[in-house]
Amino acid sequence: MTASTLTVPGTDDADSVPRDDTAASGGSPRRPRRSRPAITSHVFLALLLVGFLAPVVWALLSAFKPANDIISSPLAFDPSRFTLDNYIAMFEDVPIASGFLNTGIVLVFKGAITLFFAPLAAYAFAKYEFIGKNLIFGAVLVTLMLPTIVLIIPLLLEMKQFGWVNTYQALILPGSVDAFAIFWMRQVIAAVPDELLDAARVDGCGEFGIFWRVVLPVIRPGLAGLAVLTIMNIYNDFVWPVVAASSDRMATLQVVLSTLAQNITGNRIGADYATVTGELLAASSIALIPLLVLFIALQRHFINGILAGSVKG
Amino acid sequence: MTGAGPATAPVPLLSSITARSTRHLQKGEDMAVLTAARTRRRLAPYLFVAPFVAVFLAFSVYPLFFTARLSFTNWRGSGAAEWVGWDNYLYLLGNPGFWSSIGNSAVLWLLIIPAQLVIALLAAVLLDNAKLKLRSVYRVAFVVPFVTPLVAIAQIWVVVFDQDYGAVNGLLGLVGVPDVGWLTTSEWAKPTLALLFVWKTTGFIVLILLSGLQSIDANVYEAAGLDGAGRIRQLWSITVPLLRRTIMFAVVLQTLAVFQMFAEPFVVTQGGPYGSTTTAGYYLYNHITRADLGTGAANSFLLVILVMVLSLAFVRLLRAKD
Repeated sequence: MTASTLTVPGTDDADSVPRDDTAASGGSPRRPRRSRPAITSHVFLALLLVGFLAPVVWALLSAFKPANDIISSPLAFDPSRFTLDNYIAMFEDVPIASGFLNTGIVLVFKGAITLFFAPLAAYAFAKYEFIGKNLIFGAVLVTLMLPTIVLIIPLLLEMKQFGWVNTYQALILPGSVDAFAIFWMRQVIAAVPDELLDAARVDGCGEFGIFWRVVLPVIRPGLAGLAVLTIMNIYNDFVWPVVAASSDRMATLQVVLSTLAQNITGNRIGADYATVTGELLAASSIALIPLLVLFIALQRHFINGILAGSVKG
Repeated sequence: MTGAGPATAPVPLLSSITARSTRHLQKGEDMAVLTAARTRRRLAPYLFVAPFVAVFLAFSVYPLFFTARLSFTNWRGSGAAEWVGWDNYLYLLGNPGFWSSIGNSAVLWLLIIPAQLVIALLAAVLLDNAKLKLRSVYRVAFVVPFVTPLVAIAQIWVVVFDQDYGAVNGLLGLVGVPDVGWLTTSEWAKPTLALLFVWKTTGFIVLILLSGLQSIDANVYEAAGLDGAGRIRQLWSITVPLLRRTIMFAVVLQTLAVFQMFAEPFVVTQGGPYGSTTTAGYYLYNHITRADLGTGAANSFLLVILVMVLSLAFVRLLRAKD
């Protein structure tokens, strides 16, 4: 991305990102901007809110309706008729549980690898001099500008060469410790005062000890942002998994979901439309819920992560 | 979260440590320890970057060079590759399918970007008002689509926009509008996909614009208020110009995303009906499924060039106005 020439919001340092309501009223002398908002503002915002939430709410509720009701009366909701049939049918027909398991495994390993090795490398880029530093970091910046699409074909061939197609390695290693994580963490760690590191050093702390016991604790907010962004990206990732590991056994949650949709749009052979729709809404709902819960619990870290992540092209 | 922690903590710690360390230096034996520490300090960064560099070389740098080479061959994934020079590029540039995929993406861009910018700008300006009630509720609600998995949402789109059984046609039917083939006619498939994209990413743009708005000085507005500038005037002649860079940043990001759009057509329309939603990204995927890897590689480079040219053009546009 053309990060150098444009205003990049939220990457100057990890904490400046969105000043929150509380921070605004408590700390900095924030402007008392304009007058009380008019009714029209609220109407506009409320309409947007309904528009943004309606599809999700509709799907979450509809998944509990009898499959035939979903298509015969998509707008009616009668709680007395609510049922778990769609969920039960979905668990029987679709390998959703193994999808969750695969996503979970990838999440744990890829997440851990990224969250450990990205700050570690970024620490070297931010606080040490070494041969090749500028060359490598320059290459990192170039990769940030490249659309990920370019790498799909050769990566797939590489996986074939390694015999890694339809394996966890294929899902975990490519894309872990990504250039963006390095770029962001380098900025975050650069803001850690050198005196702090030197103090630890004269105190007898080894170089890795400084990273582990001084740097990591200090950059915790930035790290939290990176963590939620990484989780979100891995959980939602679709293009690479569908290309590299789409076998039934290896399919991640998103890949499992996408095969369901194709049952509907592609060929409506086999199961009837109502049943598939019911299962599809149940599957979508169950895939939405973990991230929704995580987002609502960790809003601020999410927003930090999303804003910093916006530099990634 | 306020960032005050790291700056204040070291001060007392530091003074006590430096006092202790100078005492250390007076003993000769400690010099050896110090040299060892210095060596370690010189070597440490190589160890620290090694895992990243390994992954980076294996899964970014090498594949990139590989694509470049591949784009000049007719390799189909097995057997011997034959060097074909610029043939793949020329084939694509002379192929109506390639141009129509670019055209489809361009139409989607037009359907998405202006509408999204207007909505996001209005929402961001309203949310920037600290006195607004339910401010954080709105903000969270707007970002919900962005964090939810695209595939799940795309599937919901398939169900909701179904011609015969969908909720949207059901709703429109209440006011007497006849059923629309949202995903089955080539006129409506693009707008329906565009709506999905707008729905999914507008909250993200609101966040970017909000963070840009934080940097605008309130005094500018007060001055304008005294001059009797109305709300809309204020927005158009003060906020938008001052927010120019942030807006351009958002436009460049979204341009990249729109031209790479793949998962949406893959799940919702499979590029149809009649190729109307075969985006540039989806067209590229078609080469992969046909094992036409040389052409696919060339296509991906053409796409990179296109996207880079567009980004540069936007940056130029911005510079020209500065």
